[in-house]
Amino acid sequence: MTDTPAAHPTDPFDAEAPGAVEGLHPVDPAYAKVLRVATALNLIPLAIGASVFDALLIRHIEGPYGLITALAWLIAIVTIVSFPSRRVSRWGYKIGEGQLRVARGWLFRTDTIVPFVRVQHIDVGQGPIERWFGLSHLIVHTSGTHNSTVTLPGLSSDLAAAMRERIRRHIQTDFA
Amino acid sequence: MSDAAVLAAPEDEARWQRLHPATLALAVVALGPKSLNALPAVAALGFTGNWIWIVPAIGAFLLISLLAAWFQWLRFRFLVGDDEVVIESGVFARQHRTIPFDRIQDVSIEQGLVSRALGVAKVGFETGAGGKENNAALNAIALDAAQALRTTIRAHRSGEAVAVAAASAPDAASVQDDRLLFAMEPGRLLTAGLFNFSLAALAVVGAAMQLFDGLLPFDFNIFDPMDWIDIAEDQGLDQWLLAHRWIAGIGAALSLLLIGFASGIATMFFANWNFRLTREPRALRRTRGLTTRTDVALPVRRVQAAILVTGWFRRRFGWHELRLQSLASDGEKERDHQVIPFGKLAEIDPVLDEIAIARPGAEAGWQRSHHIVALGGLIGAVGAAAGGLIAVSFDQPVGWLGPAAGLLIGAGSLFGARFHRWTDLGEQVAIRRGVWKPKTTLLPHASVQSVDLKTDFLLRPLGLATLVFGVPGGSSLAAHEIPAIPVADAQALRTRILAARTRR
Repeated sequence: MTDTPAAHPTDPFDAEAPGAVEGLHPVDPAYAKVLRVATALNLIPLAIGASVFDALLIRHIEGPYGLITALAWLIAIVTIVSFPSRRVSRWGYKIGEGQLRVARGWLFRTDTIVPFVRVQHIDVGQGPIERWFGLSHLIVHTSGTHNSTVTLPGLSSDLAAAMRERIRRHIQTDFA
Repeated sequence: MSDAAVLAAPEDEARWQRLHPATLALAVVALGPKSLNALPAVAALGFTGNWIWIVPAIGAFLLISLLAAWFQWLRFRFLVGDDEVVIESGVFARQHRTIPFDRIQDVSIEQGLVSRALGVAKVGFETGAGGKENNAALNAIALDAAQALRTTIRAHRSGEAVAVAAASAPDAASVQDDRLLFAMEPGRLLTAGLFNFSLAALAVVGAAMQLFDGLLPFDFNIFDPMDWIDIAEDQGLDQWLLAHRWIAGIGAALSLLLIGFASGIATMFFANWNFRLTREPRALRRTRGLTTRTDVALPVRRVQAAILVTGWFRRRFGWHELRLQSLASDGEKERDHQVIPFGKLAEIDPVLDEIAIARPGAEAGWQRSHHIVALGGLIGAVGAAAGGLIAVSFDQPVGWLGPAAGLLIGAGSLFGARFHRWTDLGEQVAIRRGVWKPKTTLLPHASVQSVDLKTDFLLRPLGLATLVFGVPGGSSLAAHEIPAIPVADAQALRTRILAARTRR
């Protein structure tokens, strides 16, 4: 949540900035590490649980002991090692003339555009894992019932603050 | 928990008002449903054999509830100032709320059956703040006081409007008059009720009949053909060996029809009795209801979308229903405001004019969604058929219903897929869907807050995308979307919509 003037690592405001597919900017590669740690924190307890279940129950009923343990750890490790970087590569954003575009996912891909004038308020958030890697996420709130919040993760904290400042200048209210 | 009263200037002290004492009577009425909470305790007393304590326990519960209501009434006061409403409430934790007139979009007045008998009304202040707890209400004050309060607030607002728009004289003139846009006469209500034929109520009646079969003073279930056969025998009709089955069947069918029509007409009369939609300076105002009368104002500027609903049958007679989606929800159940429950298009068009939304003309070029939208229904059909066949393989002949239902569902979704259409009218998009209950959504470009362009592993190979619009109000479960249209069209439409400026 730094409020320092932006020092852009990859300047998204530059029209000539190297764009990825569909003219989108990739999120910070360090976000893969954040996802990896988060996935590990979710899956390792599950794998431990599966191992305990295996040790207590399957061995007790003299089933094929070890199968579930091996499978659980295999799936956990493959998911932790390979998926985060692929998921990160599917995120993209573009902060264009008067609008923010956020794209995510591949199997189910969603490409959202929010015009700055429609933004009600903005949050820049940072979880403990994100803080560790110096990243933040930007949350844009609109008054629409669908898409009332649009989240863009994987921004370096300076960049997130700079984007917030840029969007903030456009916020206006249309209520009397 | 600071005592907020100290904030009020001392000379205002005399202007503080309390709610109408009838509020206490309303609290007594509200005790009915609330006392269900005490039932388990009473039951526990009964089971443990402490019968003697039941009456005192109920008495204590009533007393405590009434005392609580009385304290709340005692500690609730409000003040109508020159340009604000101040409300103080809370027995222990005091809440002090100031609502400037400028921020009150409009004032709604609601009267339930008991309130009407007592001549009081609940006044709600529509502030536009999200969330239920943010909308203040006075429950209840005298009806004339409620109307006076609304007049005060409206006068304040239109005075401001005139001051702002002093240059445009026609505007200032139109501020004064309230025009009647739509009303429902008893004849119209009857027609609407006939089209409102509902078997939903039938299910309730049927279930109740089953439940209370043994309790009814007469042993007769109108849904049971056997009872009709009995009648026929009593009347000496059993000689018509062949015919009496027909009589039984026709009798059952007639009573079904009767109940369906009667419940349709009754719900229509109760909900829409003396329905009036008027155009006020800044809002559309709707009053309706037989027992519970509601008076709702819908600020025109806050209308986000118009939804035209009809039915496959009533459509042939030209009857439609108009709903408006706004930031506020209509009461507790409805997500949008019904402004014309049952009317011809010629009556709907003037209302649409008021909110600057136009219906697509006959020349509008409707474009269709891809047939892939039937996929969900087809998967359901396959599931139903598979489940049915599995049941059949276990020697359950009822299972044949599965494939039959599957065929119907599949055919229905394939047929229905042809009716997913959309067209761009320049200022607004029109989205049409449904066969059984055709629904046309008229969505001004300027209401759209965000646009999602979605593809997935099925749509992508076909070069399709789904557009989902973020629009204020309405249900979060049913977002406005145009499913499965070519990606290029979707992108072009998205660009056009996002180019629109804020409405008005």
